[in-house]
Amino acid sequence: MKVSGLLLERLSPQEQRRLRTDRLMALFLRTCAGIAVLPVVALTVYVALRGIPALSPTFFLNSPADTEPGILNAILGSLQLTAVAILFTGPIGIAAGVYLSEYASRRVSSAGTMMIDVLLGTPSIIAGLVVFLVAVPFLGFSAWAGVLALSVLMLPVVMRTTQEVIRLVPIGVREASLALGVPVWKTTLYITCRTALSGLLTGLVLAISRGLGETAPLLLTARGTSAMNLFDFGTTINAMPMAVYEYSNTSSALLKEQAWGTALVLLVIALTLNVLVRSRTINSRVA
Amino acid sequence: MTQNEGTRLGQGRLSLADPIFRLLLGAAVILAGLLLATLIVSLIGYSMPLWTVENPLHFITSDVWSGLSQAPDGSTVGGFGAAGMIFGTVVTSIIAILFAAPVGIFAAVYLVEFAPKRLATLLTFLVELIAAIPSVVIGLWAVGDLSLRLRDSVEWWVASSIGKIIPWLSEDPAAPAASSVFRAGLVLGMMILPMVVAVSREVIRSVPQSLREGYVGMGATRWETIRHVILPTAKVGIAGAVLLALGRAIGETIAVTMVIGNASRIPGSLFQSGQTIASKIAGSIAETGTPEELGSLAALGLALFLITLGLSLAVRFITRRSVVGANS
Repeated sequence: MKVSGLLLERLSPQEQRRLRTDRLMALFLRTCAGIAVLPVVALTVYVALRGIPALSPTFFLNSPADTEPGILNAILGSLQLTAVAILFTGPIGIAAGVYLSEYASRRVSSAGTMMIDVLLGTPSIIAGLVVFLVAVPFLGFSAWAGVLALSVLMLPVVMRTTQEVIRLVPIGVREASLALGVPVWKTTLYITCRTALSGLLTGLVLAISRGLGETAPLLLTARGTSAMNLFDFGTTINAMPMAVYEYSNTSSALLKEQAWGTALVLLVIALTLNVLVRSRTINSRVA
Repeated sequence: MTQNEGTRLGQGRLSLADPIFRLLLGAAVILAGLLLATLIVSLIGYSMPLWTVENPLHFITSDVWSGLSQAPDGSTVGGFGAAGMIFGTVVTSIIAILFAAPVGIFAAVYLVEFAPKRLATLLTFLVELIAAIPSVVIGLWAVGDLSLRLRDSVEWWVASSIGKIIPWLSEDPAAPAASSVFRAGLVLGMMILPMVVAVSREVIRSVPQSLREGYVGMGATRWETIRHVILPTAKVGIAGAVLLALGRAIGETIAVTMVIGNASRIPGSLFQSGQTIASKIAGSIAETGTPEELGSLAALGLALFLITLGLSLAVRFITRRSVVGANS
């Protein structure tokens, strides 16, 4: 809506005022968009600047107990916790999501959707607290307890994504399969789920991304440790977010630096998974 | 039986495999339902022991959280007053919304109505990236960088002008607090911003193009269209976006724990340390042993859960009644 100077002079004072307001507000809206982008840019730059000096081969390959300490125990801990949690929540979440969008009656489906909403809105600290109250007395502070807490948070993510991508599969695809005499369950498994496969994978990646980033529920359950824990799920285990939190509270300059390094690693993982999900969702428009 | 072999086999599969498959999927839904039920029941159950030593009214009005101990004369003294945490949760959430709602809504308007397509894609990507960053990373950045900048700029500026008159905006200039409620609120605001932008963007986008065209066709400027057509139409959906973000702000734990300072009394000023319900739970696990202490944490958890539950139900209720909001 460009108005040349010549034209502007022909406008009445009232119209000129309206145009000025319009330009001023356009500038205001642009400023708001700028402010909205500012934090993520500032954060990324700052964490990168502080984190890069900590990165070295020993940082990734050594444990805290070694002479040149590293965060290998936290890296492996995060991987183990998230891997086991997705083994539980992946199949269960996909099954529940498929049921809700393919088989459930309208009523059950709407109740299920509401249940997912509530679970998704539950603060992560609540998941940690409940596992701490209910399961820790039996399991102790342990990797199993951590897996449970992460599962509570990852399950609704898988369910929601599954529910949405299954809905996108055109009804005709199912009908064609059923008309050929394929049983309903085979149609669901080999036709509907197959068509939505890349969307289902997106759900798993989103859940993994959530699991890798959670701190508070793990502090209450897996507790963290400076020792290396490989596949001993009965004892405490460390994870990268917990390492960032613990190291940021210490007075040791070396550990503080490692906190920034670990934060940078987490940031890079989060950004990579985010980009991965985005490129996938663009490719997977099944409809 | 007059049916041929093929049909009978087909029916055999239909009558057995299908119900089993259906049952398996249904069991997964039931499992998820049980999970939610466990959350609610265990929070209620474990908070019971607290109510034998603490009265609910005192729990939400007192800000002295001292735990129970034996006085010299043998009686039990002390109590669990959660008013400090409730105050911290409410105030940080209000600050967060005051920052995130206007910035987020107007940024969303810019993205939909003004920004060229390429730029809009880039900006949306960047804004929504914050939601993907683990909150401990945001917390570390807030402690190491942002918090200090805020203390030396906005906080100092407010405290040394208006703060001289209004006590709850004051600050000791010689010894500014290492952490403050205000800073925690602003960090929260940044964390919920992507949610406000994302949902508002969807809602504004779904305002019918014909409404815009009709108004512009009568000679309205872009801003007038936004103010008189787009925002009023999208109002309900945007309210839903803000409530959704509020729920997120109330439950956020680790970044707040790192910035707020974890002092359980109600602070005299926004620029002093405080505590939220979530940060209290995260911080006091190590010091719990007795059923009453566990009960106090369960009660805090229950309060938090009920607030977020109420908000998500409110969002459902509000958006269901609006045509525009229902699409989001």
